[in-house]
Amino acid sequence: MRHQLTLRIGPATFRIGSAWPAPVSQLASLYAAYPQPADAIADFTVRLQPTSLARRFIRPSIFITGDHGLADAAPMSLAHGLLAAEMGMNLQMALGWRRHLLLHASSVEKDGRVLVMTGESGSGKSTLAALLGERGWRFMGDEFALLDLDSGAILPFPRLVSLKNRAIEVVAGEVGAGRMGPLLAATAKGDIRHMLPRNDAVARMGQGAMPALLLFPRFGHAADMRAVGQAEIFMRLTQASTNYVALGEPAFTALTRFVRDVPARAIDFPTGEEAIAMVERLWEDMA
Amino acid sequence: MTATKLYRRDGADAVTACALDDIVLLYHPRSGQTHMVISPVPEILDQLADFTPASVAQIHDRLARSFDLGPADDAMREIAAHLDALVALGLVRPA
Repeated sequence: MRHQLTLRIGPATFRIGSAWPAPVSQLASLYAAYPQPADAIADFTVRLQPTSLARRFIRPSIFITGDHGLADAAPMSLAHGLLAAEMGMNLQMALGWRRHLLLHASSVEKDGRVLVMTGESGSGKSTLAALLGERGWRFMGDEFALLDLDSGAILPFPRLVSLKNRAIEVVAGEVGAGRMGPLLAATAKGDIRHMLPRNDAVARMGQGAMPALLLFPRFGHAADMRAVGQAEIFMRLTQASTNYVALGEPAFTALTRFVRDVPARAIDFPTGEEAIAMVERLWEDMA
Repeated sequence: MTATKLYRRDGADAVTACALDDIVLLYHPRSGQTHMVISPVPEILDQLADFTPASVAQIHDRLARSFDLGPADDAMREIAAHLDALVALGLVRPA
């Protein structure tokens, strides 16, 4: 493709090709601190291509594809090209990664131990990881936590943090405009703005650590905390994994070990500040 | 004639089990499926662990040595229903 970038995030190397220059130049600038080894062998190819030849020029529409694609993926406007590239990389990981058990979860590390937070879009897991990453924790990822099948460690995948709607203001106020990407207004998921992780999170993206606490956060409710049964945890984590079935028995063994060894709680919180206070208390008590 | 129907487990259908709270997870390598089961399913499967065919009545009698099963007719009906469900899942075969 005409415009290309090779990018390493955690253990995965992506080659992103685009028919238009803007998404690639935005990515190259936002991911400036990440390895961009032009001659590396990529694990995945992401392609941002026009939905038709005309759509390259007139109201440009991006079709996201690559090594793994979804036939019914909706085309996106070129104005949201950066989001398309990010979604393309996530899609390749979700559909193609086999070296670790992929959990749809955010993760942060402190004192060599990892806090894993899983939940659906809007649960607050990205925002919490982003905020904790500014307050003494190492940010490891906001989208995928990679569970090593042999050691049981969590490995980082610290891509840009994708913040939506109300979370944008909260996090931008904390990190400053210099670490925020362009505002992508009115996407299918609402307003989106990306945040750059701190440089130390990027520099240490090859270093995993053992999980010590699992949380199921839920934003927008009165503060509450509940124990979660192991069987329910297992079921929710298999639902949160895109490659559990593909990995077979090693995934079963690794996930059951994770569920048995890692204490877990569900937490509800009305604001980010209250969530952080709850997390810090729980970490003191349980991890 | 449920009473004379025989069931068996096959070595190829061996499962890896893991108990979490009161739920037992069974990983079945042949299908790649993970099943979540509760008592009495793990106990029924245990009675077929030697891979030899057994009838509902035989499985009932083996279980009755360790568990209070209540009236035999009711217990056998329930065991037969579980066995047929296990056959449908591919974990047990009709012998």
